Order: sequence, then C-alpha cells, then structure tokens
Amino acid sequence: MKSGGKKKIIHSVVFKSVFGIVLLLTAFSLVVGVIGFNSFTYALLDTYSDDAFYTADTAVTCIDIDRMDAYAESGGKTDEYKEAWNKMETLCNTSGVTFIYVIRPDLTDYKHITFLFSTINYNTDYSCYEFGYVRETTNDEYREKYKRLYSGESERELVIRDKGYIETDPHITAMIPLKDSSGKTTAILCVQRQMETLTGVRNNYLYKIIGLLVITAVLVIIGQSLYLNFVLLKPLSKITKETSRFSKENTAGKTRLQETIKNKDEIGGLAASIDKMEERIVRYVDDLTKITAEKERISTELALATKIQANMLPNIFPPFPDRTEFDIYASMDPAKEVGGDFYDFFLVDDDHLCVVMADVSGKGIPAALFMMATKIIIANYAKMGKSPSEILTAANSAICSRNQEDMFVTVWLGILEISTGKLTAANAGHEFPVLKQDKVFELYKDKHGFVLGGMDGMRYKQYEMTLTPGSKLFLYTDGVPEATNGESQLFGTERMIEALNKQPDAEPKEILQNVRRTVDGFVKEAEQFDDLTMLCLEYKGKDDR
Amino acid sequence: MNIKISKIEKKTIIEVSGRVDTVAAPKFEAAVKEQITDAEELVIDMDKLEYISSAGLRVLLWAQKTMTDRGDMKLINVHENVMEILEITGFSEILKIKQGGS
Repeated sequence: MKSGGKKKIIHSVVFKSVFGIVLLLTAFSLVVGVIGFNSFTYALLDTYSDDAFYTADTAVTCIDIDRMDAYAESGGKTDEYKEAWNKMETLCNTSGVTFIYVIRPDLTDYKHITFLFSTINYNTDYSCYEFGYVRETTNDEYREKYKRLYSGESERELVIRDKGYIETDPHITAMIPLKDSSGKTTAILCVQRQMETLTGVRNNYLYKIIGLLVITAVLVIIGQSLYLNFVLLKPLSKITKETSRFSKENTAGKTRLQETIKNKDEIGGLAASIDKMEERIVRYVDDLTKITAEKERISTELALATKIQANMLPNIFPPFPDRTEFDIYASMDPAKEVGGDFYDFFLVDDDHLCVVMADVSGKGIPAALFMMATKIIIANYAKMGKSPSEILTAANSAICSRNQEDMFVTVWLGILEISTGKLTAANAGHEFPVLKQDKVFELYKDKHGFVLGGMDGMRYKQYEMTLTPGSKLFLYTDGVPEATNGESQLFGTERMIEALNKQPDAEPKEILQNVRRTVDGFVKEAEQFDDLTMLCLEYKGKDDR
Repeated sequence: MNIKISKIEKKTIIEVSGRVDTVAAPKFEAAVKEQITDAEELVIDMDKLEYISSAGLRVLLWAQKTMTDRGDMKLINVHENVMEILEITGFSEILKIKQGGS
C-alpha cells in the first residue's frame, strides 16, 4: 500500500512535467501549421489566379464581342460561331485550365445563366455544356459577382471554391466582362482552373508538421523522463528511504544524504536540510533523554527527601504512651514534595515538655534545608535547659551568622512544666496560638518578637500562663488561615476557630481532623498553596485517680 | 501582582498592588533589587497591596538591610490586613511604617 502510493506520486510528477511540455509543443506546432498552411494557400492562389486571368484575357481575343448577339442567335451552327468556339477550345486545351465559357445571366435577378460558349480540357473528367444551356446560378456569391461585372462596378472577379481546405477538387473561376465597342457589357467570360497541386502541397506540409510533432513529443517524453529520473526521482527516493529509516530508528545514518546526493539545486538543499534536521533531532532526543533521566533522579530524590523530612518530625502517636498528663497530636502536609513548616515536641527532662511550631519563609527545597537546620538548632538549645526567650535569642544569633540568603523562620516555642501546668512561651513572628482554657477555643494574642534569622541581636521576650487540666493549645502555620479557595478567598482565622469549636472537647487527633476537613471543604478543587501544619496539645494534669 | 515604579531624584517609589505570594515574590524581588541599586531613599507604597506572604516579607527584609547602610526605607499606606501580617511576624518593629486608611 505504502510503496504503491509512493510510485503513484512519482509517476504523477513525471506525467505532469511531460504532459505540460507536450501540450506546449502541440500548441506551438498548431500555430506553425496554421501560419504555414495559410502562407501556402495565399501564395498558390496568387499564382493560380494570375494564370486564370491571363488565360481569360487571351480567350477574349478568340471572339468578336460586337458579334455577341449574332453568336446568341446562331444556335451554335454558324461558321462564325464555330470558328470562335474552335479557337477557344484550342486555348482551353493548351493553357491547362479546365473550362472556358461565356455566359449571359438573366438581367432581372441573375438567378439563371445561359451558356453561349463552353469549352473543356479533354484531360479532365468533365463534359461541356451545349450551346444555349440554361442552368441556375450556383449560389449567391456568383450572382453577386455577375451583378457587379454587369453594372461596371468591377472589371474582374474571382471565385475561390476551396471550402474545407482538404476537400478534393478545389478550383478558382476568373471572370471578366465582355464589353462591346460602345462599352456595354454583353456577356461574361469565365475561366475555371483546378488547383490540384494546392491540396497536395498543403497536405504534404501538414503531414510533415504532424510527423515532426510526434517525433519531438516522443523524444521529449523519453528525454524528460530520463532527466527527471536522474535529477529528481533517484535523489528523492534516497531522501524518502532515509527519512522513513530515520523515523523508525531515530539514529544518525551511516552516510549523510549530502554525500550521495551531489545536486547543487533545491534537491541538494533539501538533502542538506534533512541531514541538519536529523542531527538536531538526534541531539535533541539525547538532551531530552538526559533531562528526563535527571528529572526522574530528582523526583526519586525528592520522594526520599519527603520521607526523610517526615521522619525528622515526631510522627508516631501517641509519642509518649506512658505519660497520662498530656496528649499531643500533630500533622504536616507540604504544598510541594518537601516543606518549610515544621512542628516539634520533646521532653527536655521528666517534667518539661518543649513544643515548637515554625514556618520558614518560602517553600520547597531551600525552605526544607533551612527548616532542618533550624529544627536542630532549636532542639539543641532547648535540650540545654534554656528558657524559651534564651532559646530563641541564641537560635536567632546562630541562624543569622550563616544566613546569606536572607531566609527567615517564624517560631512559636513553649515549655510546659508538666507537674504544674505552667506554660512559658515566646513568639518569634509566628501566628497567634489558639487556647481553650474553659469551654471554647480563643485566639491568644501573645507578645511578638521579630522572625528568627531576620536580624542579628534581636531579643525575644517570654510570657507565662497556667494550663488547667482539660486545657488545649492549638498551634498552626499560616497555611491554615491563608488556605485559598477558587475565588481567591482566604480561609481566615475566624473559620479556623469555628472549626476548632465544632467539638472543642474532642481528642487532639479529632480536632486536627476537624480543621483539616473544614479547610478541604472550603478550598475544594483549588491547588494547595502553602504548607499546612497543625499541632494540638491537651493538658490533662496529674492523674490522681 | 503589579509593580509601578516612579523616581524623584534619589528617591524611588515602588507601588506594589495585588497579592505578593510565593509565585509573585521572585518578580517583586527582581524589581526591588533592580531599583535599589542607586536609591538613597526607598518608599514602598502598599496602598493597593492585598496580601504579602513570607516570601514577600523576605524581600522587604533584604531591602531593609540593604537600605540601612545607604539611606532610608519606609512603607507607606499600609492597610490593616497587611499591617496584621507585619505585626505578627514582628516586621513592624524593624521597618518604618506609615499606616494608611482601613
């Protein structure tokens, strides 16, 4: 099917090109033929008519025009008439014309002619009319000419019977008026001459032109086909083969097309372009393969990084199964593979639980790396037994000393004295915590310090509060209130607090699930834009039961 | 986010409108970095600013640090919602801020 289609196309190219040339050739021959044919006709007609008129002029001397009426009344039997007739017949047979005759048309409407003299050349198949023979005028042309000769409008007329050009027996008739001594036209003398050579010569010429056309056309068809085959089809089929090979294998060919196609024309240009195109595609495919491999590697690494990051955060709940004084639950959902948010909690000693919620500026890998460092720095200072204010101040200095990229992190850090419920906390530019002291969750507008890593030498103030048994603390990053729906509306702190208060007495895990569900219901199909991190701590107090 | 810049001698006013979130922040950063090179006084007009994320705050922090050595930087026409963000993050303590209407 495929190769058949290809052949068809190639043939059609040759056919079109040859057909065009043959068409042009035919048109050219036609023009030459018509011009030549007409030239021949006019030249021969001139010769024949000169000849006929010359004979006519001679024939006039055979008769005495003043005796025309006498001839007409002679019945063809007087000596005078016979002498004239004999002279005319001799002239007819020696001059090579077919007929010489003298007629008188009826002068009312010229529709009939009467023959006075009629002589014929014996070498022809014709026979002559008898004296006094009356016949209808052949056609209007003759009639018109008779009229003109009689009226004196013209002194000689010529009728050419050459209809259809190849018709047999074309002839001309030369006519002159016979005028008596008073100048009156008494009859018309006609000389008819066959133009046998005219047809022969003209036809011969036509045959030669046609023959020449056929031979030239055949030569052109063969020549053009061979030429096209050489300059077009062979290189084209090479190109077709190469491109179909390339489309299957997608590798550079062993030999370049330019080496086998030496044409310095458009075909050569095409071959060069295809060589170049193949080179580029091969290079492009190589690049693409590399990039894809690189992308796959990065995405594998990112997936691994996601796991490592998730595992860096305490994610086994309950984290302290033997501690009944408090319950804690937390979750982090990064917007990208890795995030800049983190939470952390750990026991500094038996009686002190440290809780951290932090948000690094930006997202993705830079934020994740920064977050890892921050988490470790804060945990280290916290485990040294420092107060929240000291921890943040020291962490800020540590982060600022190596922070070339002007990244910063907002941190809320609290240390709970488990035995008493005393919570000491400090806030470095982080969102307000939400506290449930009695029945409902409320925003706790604490004192704010500047973000960590923003400026060296910042000091962070700490504050204290006492948690009663049943109190709950909800910490979050701005991903929660700033979750955005399709209409660019923010979820907002108020909706968040409403969600918390749906079941304020539920366990921390359920509370987080409530918030998450409400956020999802609000955002719907819109893309998660920021990391979403939450932590809920419930203080239960000493289990006295 | 859209940014409009006007200069009066050595004073550069950057008018920032819309949302400066994580996606828009690099554009904001590039604009500020380009304008800040020869400015002695940098004014950031936040009249039409709807929201600024931490990535946007980072640009403000960098600009503040750069301008402390060279001249002066202040935010003008800061609205309540943006002001809230600046206060929570403590940026209100290190930046010169002139508040605008509600």
